[in-house]
Formats: sequence, structure tokens, C-alpha cells
Amino acid sequence: MKLTFSKEDEQFREEIAAWLKANLVGEFEQLKFRGGPGDEHMFPEERKQWEQKLAEGGWTCVGWPKEYGGRGASIEQQVIFFEEYARAGAPGRVGHIGEGLAGPTLIAFGTEAQKQKYLPGIVSGKELWCQGYSEPSAGSDLANVKTKARLDEKTGKWSINGQKVWTSLAHESDWCFVVARTDPDSVAHKGLGFFLVSMHQPGVTVRPIEQLTGTSEFNEVFFDDAVAEDIVGEPGDGWKVAMGLLGFERGVSTLGQQMLFQNELDEIVRIAKANGAAKDPVLRQRIAEAHTGLRLMRYNAMRMLSDTSGGALQKAALVYKLHWASWHRNLGALAMDVLGPEAEMLESAPYNLTRLQSMYLFTRSDTIYGGTNQIQRNIIAERGLGMPKEPKGR
Amino acid sequence: MDFTFTEDQLLFQESVRDFLVNEVTTESIRALWETKTGRSDELWQQLVEMGLVGMTVPEAQGGLGMNAVDFVLLAQECGYVALPENLVETVLVVAPLLAALPESDVRNEWLQKMAAGEARIAVGHSRNPLVSDAHTADAWLLQHNDEVHLVKARKKNMRRNESVDPSRRLHSIEWAPKPATCLAKGPAGKALWMQALNYGALGVAAQSLGLAQRMIDLSVKYTSERQQFGKPIGSFQAVKHHMANVAVQLEYAKAPVYRAAWSLANNHRHAGVHVSHAKIAATEAALLAARNGIQVHGAMGYTWEVDMHIFAKRAWALDGAWGDRAFHKTRVAKFVLKDNALIGASNTFVA
Repeated sequence: MKLTFSKEDEQFREEIAAWLKANLVGEFEQLKFRGGPGDEHMFPEERKQWEQKLAEGGWTCVGWPKEYGGRGASIEQQVIFFEEYARAGAPGRVGHIGEGLAGPTLIAFGTEAQKQKYLPGIVSGKELWCQGYSEPSAGSDLANVKTKARLDEKTGKWSINGQKVWTSLAHESDWCFVVARTDPDSVAHKGLGFFLVSMHQPGVTVRPIEQLTGTSEFNEVFFDDAVAEDIVGEPGDGWKVAMGLLGFERGVSTLGQQMLFQNELDEIVRIAKANGAAKDPVLRQRIAEAHTGLRLMRYNAMRMLSDTSGGALQKAALVYKLHWASWHRNLGALAMDVLGPEAEMLESAPYNLTRLQSMYLFTRSDTIYGGTNQIQRNIIAERGLGMPKEPKGR
Repeated sequence: MDFTFTEDQLLFQESVRDFLVNEVTTESIRALWETKTGRSDELWQQLVEMGLVGMTVPEAQGGLGMNAVDFVLLAQECGYVALPENLVETVLVVAPLLAALPESDVRNEWLQKMAAGEARIAVGHSRNPLVSDAHTADAWLLQHNDEVHLVKARKKNMRRNESVDPSRRLHSIEWAPKPATCLAKGPAGKALWMQALNYGALGVAAQSLGLAQRMIDLSVKYTSERQQFGKPIGSFQAVKHHMANVAVQLEYAKAPVYRAAWSLANNHRHAGVHVSHAKIAATEAALLAARNGIQVHGAMGYTWEVDMHIFAKRAWALDGAWGDRAFHKTRVAKFVLKDNALIGASNTFVA
């Protein structure tokens, strides 16, 4: 056990900190602390520009292997990158689904030709991705996919028909990875394929969903004879590929999320000191609890990432979502309680929420998306603890 | 940056676990409840021979010269079996406290005797109203303000107080500080007692991890066997979610406990706050394991016969020791809310 960073790592820290200081200026100044979950509707165009600015500096895909355009950064350096990125207040990444999910999936499961075709667009920050999993009848029952894929014998391309829902950032994306049924007679996780679909075609319609925040970052996406550009893996491998991807979702990408949480907590502490809430014994205790919960998350991520044998990784990955979602939901409540009676007052008409109100409301979705707390508990009990399985309907 | 244990550390944990699971059964714990001392000299000598008692005693005094990182996994195993012997306090509090004193004949002699199994020392800290295992000790380390005193144990000076956990043997001590027994005082003494508190709290945290794991194991086994409505009750979400909640808290409490052990072993300047994170997280996991474990056992969980209460009561008893929840949360709150607090994204790990 050695819980310190090396000299080289600290040099890396200086390098990224200096770059951010020099570049997060001018037109990008207004993006500080903007974007990210609950604030995705803000400055989409400017943040796309920022994504390309990052790419010019070589600061996209820092953890990817060099041969695919990444920086080949070690786990430690990725940790440092996310810390400094958040400390500088650099904006929520519009490219995170491509960098954190689509790219790693292609690196793991794609053909060499697919890697050459799709990865450069992600590295350059010019092509944005979204994730097509959930459907109206496939929520917690994620494998109950109805969207169909049919191979057109003439063109050799797959044609997609069906509907996806809760698709984050679909309205800003160039590509979508879609899980669809390749074998019409199959059920559940068998007979699925993993498709790469261009969002810029007549067969794709995006309809934003207005959330209880009054803003939209999720969408419905309709596929009517949409043409898939590629399939990753073989027809029937879709579930395996998609589940591999969920593994990435719980890996290094958690670090960036924790840093956003740290910024939110710091903001709450700042307000509490300013408005006197920090003197209230009840709120002091809850701030201590929030701080402790975030440290737990942090140490667990570090432990998970430094155990290359994978033993701790699997167990920790299993419990990660339930812990952070519940913690963040409580943080939202803490923010409102620190604000006291001010908490209900909107920033402006007609329905403009303050950042913290927006965060509070968004955290109501944390315990639902990406697997509800209830589904997480089933998985933890059955796979983690080996408890008897619940009887299933099919 | 590396959060993993070495192969040697993991192997040692495995062999200690095998030994304890065989030697310290719930039957043997119940049998000890009925004895006068509640302790087994034979078991203590075995712990001495395995090198456990002297693990943190310096090599010059016949110990292994190891640190909190080496012992933390073993303390976890002591919790798993609800070991009645006062091993964790001996290794994590008494030996480091004595070892931190300037060299003297008294210090060296007692450390030597401890490591050799010839003497035992119990410790009384102002945060703990009573002294654990004063009755089997040859000497007591006692606090008087900032002073550290080493006092010869005398039966007539101690009185037993019953604990909710029948394995715990707590004593109040009547004594008067004398210059001759004082080993440290002033800022040095104060620092030693703070160190003792931190090590004691780490010991509670590590044992709590083991206790929580044991209560999960007992509960998962019971709910997988017990049938109602024609099915094992563990298949019902209302039951399994109770256990999932414990599993999450337990898994999440491990990293902060190891982090705290590392910080103590390396004299990190915020080790105290790291210990508080660890103790809050680990005792909460153990308390939840007790609450939910009893709940999923149904009425059986409320009986003396079922073993759940052995572990639940240890968890409850240890929760208040070495700084209760209020103490540790207040310490964290002070750290986060002070004017020049080291918070912020780039301080989440170093600070």
C-alpha cells in the first residue's frame, strides 16, 4: 500500500493545470462550472468548441492507448487529470459518452477497420455519441428489447426499426450505439446485436423529453428503416458487448463524476459559511456526513482502480451505483436545507432554476437512471451475496 | 498510488482467519461467558506464539516491528469471530503507545514482556469511561490529563462493570497519579493520548468490518434456508434488499479503514480525520448489519439461542468506544468547515 503520487505524476499535474489555466479563458470563460448532469442544456455549441480545444491540446481520451490516439496515461495520471479538470471548473464534457463508453467498447470488441473509422472522430472531439439502450418496454427489464434489426441482403447493411427512450444528448449527437434484436424469434438477452447508427439520416427522429426541471437532456429516438453503419461483434453478441460497456461505465469514468460532486459540495460549504448555516449543529453534522460519504467514494474508486487482479473491482463495481446515487440524492437535500427558506425561490421567470435547485431536482433521477436502486439491490443480493434468485416471469 | 495489500499481508490474514475460525467458535464464546475471567490463557499464548501479540512491538524488544497496515486485516478477522481477548487494543494501542515513548528501562522491559507473552497491559483513555481487560493485565496504562502513567495492576483497585456484551470485561479503576509512575506529560503526553485514540478507533473500525461480514454471512445463510410461502425468504426483495444495503455499506467502509491505517502508519498530518471517516463508516456498516440481520432472522433473531446477538452486541458495544459518533463527526465537521480547509477537487486524496 502506498497512497502518494510519484514525482512524475506531480509533473503531469502541473502540465494539465497550466494548460487549463492558459486555455480556459476568453470565449470559454463563461463555461466554467457549467454543463454536466442537470446542466447539459447550457452552452451546447460552446462546449462542442471546447471539446475540440481540448483535443488540440491532446487532452481528450487521456486514458486510451496511444495507438488509438489517446495519451496512454496511467491510472494515477487519469486521477490527476480529472482532479485538475474539476478544480479549474472546466465544463461538463459533451464528448464523455464517446470517450468513456463508445470508444472503449470499440477498442475492446470492434474490428481494426471500425477502430480506424470511429475512434479519430472521438479523439478530435468532432463526433459526439449517445447510447440507445432503454425502450418504452425495456426499463429495469433492460433485455426486453423490441427494436428490430433486419439485414438487407442487397446492400449488406442492417436496417433498424423501433424506439429508444431516455437517450441523453441524442439531440447533440452524431452517432448512436443501438442494441436491437437480430433474431426476431429470440427473447431477453439472446439474439441481440450492437449497432452503430448515424443520427444524420431520414430514418432517425429525435424528440426531446421535457423533464421536471423544465429543461431537456433526455430524448425519445425513433428509428424508421434507419440504416446501421456497422455492427460490433456478431449478430447475437449484442448483450455481451453492451454489458462489457457497462463495466467501463463504472471504471475510470467515475473519477470525473466524483470531482463534480466535490465541486458541488464545496459550493454548499461556501454558502453554509456565508449564510450562517455552518454554525447550525444539525447542518454541520450533515456536511460532515456528506464529506465522509464522498471520501468513501473516492477511496473506493482508488482501491478499485489500483487492484489489477480484478477481485475488488468486481465487488466494488457492483455496489458503486447504489452508493453514489443515494449519496448524491442526499447532497441535493442538504443543498436545499443549507439554503433554508431561500431554497424555493427561482432565479428568474418563467422557470429558471438556480444551479443548486437544478442539482437537487436532477438528483431525483440519480436513483433511477442506469439501473434503479431497487434493481441494484437485486443484483447486489443475488450476484454479490449469492442469495436465492427471485422467480422471474419468463 | 497503490491501495492493495502485499501477498505476505494477505497470506497472513488467511492463516489468522483459519486459526480464529477454528479456535474461536460461538460455542467457545458462550462457554467463556460462564467463566470467572471470561478469557482463555491458552488462547492468548497461542496468539503470542503466532507473533500476533508482538506484531507492533519493535524488533529490538522481541516483536515483529510491523505497523497498522500490517495488522488492519487481522483486526478485521478478530471482529469476524468476535474474539473476546483484548488483542486489538494490545497491538494497536498499547504497543504503539509504549513504543512511542523515549527509550527507558521501563518501556523496554514491558514491551519485551508483552511480546514474549509474559505480561499484559490494559489501557484507560479518558474517552472510554472503563478499562477493557484490566483484570487479566499486569499493568495499566492510565491517563491523567496529559500525563501517561504506567501503574502496576492491583485487584483491590478495580471493580467490574457488566457490559451488554457478555464477552467484554470492563473495569473502573481507582488510582492516584504519582510522579514515579508518570512516563510522559505535557504536549508529548497529549500527543500520545491522541495517537492512542486514533489507533483505538482504527481498531474498532477494522473489527466492525469483520463483525458486519459475519452478520451478513449468518443472515444470508439463514434466509437462504428458511422457507415461507413455499420459497426461501431470501428470494423476496423485501428481505434481500435489507442485506444488499448492508453489503454496500460494508464494501464502502473497507477502503477508508485501509486508508486510515496507512495514514497512521505513515504519520499523515490528517490521520485523525481519516480515522474518523473510517470509524464512522465501519461502525455504521456494523450497526446496520446488526439491525437488518436481526430483522431478516424474524423472531429467531430476538432469541439468546441464535448467534446473531453475539456479533450485534459487540458491534453496539464497540460503537461508543474510542470516540463515539458525535466525537468523530464533530472532528470531520471542524476539518471541512474551518477557514482554510483543504477541500477542493485536487485535495480529495492528499488531504
